[in-house]
Amino acid sequence: MFRLRLAVVAAALIAGLLAAMVTGGCRKPRRAATPLTGFSAPFVFGRFQVPADNPLTVESVELGRRLFYDPRLSANGRVSCSTCHIQRLAFTDGRTTGVGVSGRPLAFNSMSLANLMWGPQRFFWNGRAASLEEQALVPLQHADEMAQDLKRLVRQLADDALYRKLFETTYGEISSSTIARALASFVRTLVSCNSRYDQFLRGEITLDAQEELGRKLFMAHPDVKVSLRGANCIDCHSQFLTSGSSARYDGFSNNGLDDEAHLQSGLQAVTGDPAHRGLFKVPSLRNIAITAPYMHDGRFKTLEEVLDHYDSGIKNSSTLSPLIVEADNKGGAAAGRISLHLTAGEKAAIIAFMHTLTDRDFVTAERFSDPFARK
Amino acid sequence: MNRMLKPALFVLAVVAALGVTAWRLYRAAQPAELALYFHPFVGPAPLVLNQPRYQNPGGEGRFKVRDFQFFLSNIRLVGVAGAFVEPDSYHLVRFDGDDPAFVIVLHHVPRRNYERIEFGIGVDAAANRSLAQRGELDPNGRMAWNWEVGYKFVLFEGSLLRGNASAPLVYHVGFAENYRLISSTLHRGLLDRGLARLDFRVDILSLFQGPTNIDMAALPSVKFERSDAALLARNFAALVTPMWPDPAAGPNQRHSNNR
Repeated sequence: MFRLRLAVVAAALIAGLLAAMVTGGCRKPRRAATPLTGFSAPFVFGRFQVPADNPLTVESVELGRRLFYDPRLSANGRVSCSTCHIQRLAFTDGRTTGVGVSGRPLAFNSMSLANLMWGPQRFFWNGRAASLEEQALVPLQHADEMAQDLKRLVRQLADDALYRKLFETTYGEISSSTIARALASFVRTLVSCNSRYDQFLRGEITLDAQEELGRKLFMAHPDVKVSLRGANCIDCHSQFLTSGSSARYDGFSNNGLDDEAHLQSGLQAVTGDPAHRGLFKVPSLRNIAITAPYMHDGRFKTLEEVLDHYDSGIKNSSTLSPLIVEADNKGGAAAGRISLHLTAGEKAAIIAFMHTLTDRDFVTAERFSDPFARK
Repeated sequence: MNRMLKPALFVLAVVAALGVTAWRLYRAAQPAELALYFHPFVGPAPLVLNQPRYQNPGGEGRFKVRDFQFFLSNIRLVGVAGAFVEPDSYHLVRFDGDDPAFVIVLHHVPRRNYERIEFGIGVDAAANRSLAQRGELDPNGRMAWNWEVGYKFVLFEGSLLRGNASAPLVYHVGFAENYRLISSTLHRGLLDRGLARLDFRVDILSLFQGPTNIDMAALPSVKFERSDAALLARNFAALVTPMWPDPAAGPNQRHSNNR
């Protein structure tokens, strides 16, 4: 009798558990979002990862695009993400450093947004965000950038019938987290892969002699012992992505902009490691010819100034990469003076190669453009 | 009461014995995990990054290590009953100063008696020519030279300090001919325990040692000159060595070798 009762109790318990498992976690039913099929990227870019809790869907990308271009994301209703990230300029703004709602210039140059699923998976020049989702909410709330209050923003979006419907279909709710996920989804789709360099890599075109010389110099660390001339760009800017490497902090570098006394904290502000002082994120050079000015503080106006810096303007400091100090096409690195010793013709060739990284399709693609714009 | 308890106890004991035997058989059939620990050293001293602690092996001055990484490929466990071959076995062993050792875990290793462990230093010729991202090979990573040259097998970047002068040290050793297979003899019963592990010493100094030690001031960089690369690669066999006593050695030696 006792055994029978036990069995009944156990059966009831198991049934209850099963019922809880079936119904639990399943909130109000909604129409499922449509997986984004056909999304692809060049083989040579390598693997990429989309977070499991934020899959790319047709709806999340479309919602993210709408939010990206919506000035309601700022306190004064006049600044959107696209204020500092303009498609025509490969999602930069042409300014030395960005300017948002306060009108005060920001500390950093607005970064281009291209191919962000590859290269360093930490964001901002000093790497302070560990995901695109985390990144998205920072400028939104920064007093000088968009100065928006997240609760206020959620209320504003909830007042809009279209946003209510889009969020409902995509994520089931409007919250700061789903706003961040939608923005991150759109930004993940910003893939630039049809520049002349991409066409060259696919074997569709050949580069002209000057561009080819520039490519070879870009892709080589100089070695006088084997008469190899190089500009050691590839030591930081990887061969296909032209961005920093993705592993750990390999994609951050001190590129000799400042001497020891003027070295900014850079990555050290995030890791606390003194060896990371003055290290900044190595950006992708995709579309570099149309994303002036250059460097994390926008100090160089032209690519010529950039090349002159790397050739003969390097300032030494304790965290400067030995690869920069050692790279010298005359082989005199030990003598103390840091210089690549490139010729004027070589510098011009590297700039010609950098122009092959401009992707006209990327800067004109309808799917990346302002959905509020009148056609 | 007592009469009923005795047979019950007997049945219980038989069931327990059967259970233990079944569990042992089951466990023996379950694959194991084997952790490989790599401990970085500069000669006898543990590696500390960014500090000029170490004597130039062939000349004056002291050197510091800023970055040290190398590819370890094609891990195999070899035994009479067959070999375990790790799929896509390309690991970038790196020491960033935050962990005392770099760890590779081999999963789903059949529990057999293996006689030796084998792996390569560097990247085998086929993978070195390929753009495929197998294991931790990454054509857009820091270890890639470019697609015409292949991968750096070993990367050492640092500087040499002599008096107040500091000179950069850049040792990038690659090229297919420098790929080396290393084999170490294993003890029996390695996988019997729940958490099997092997410890290896990685001695950065070994790259610069030989009949005559290398003077870092005279050879501050190794890149594309093949004879220079071969000079550092000749000691790849000493770069990674087992920290467990050699099973073939006598009992006295076993004790003295045991760290």
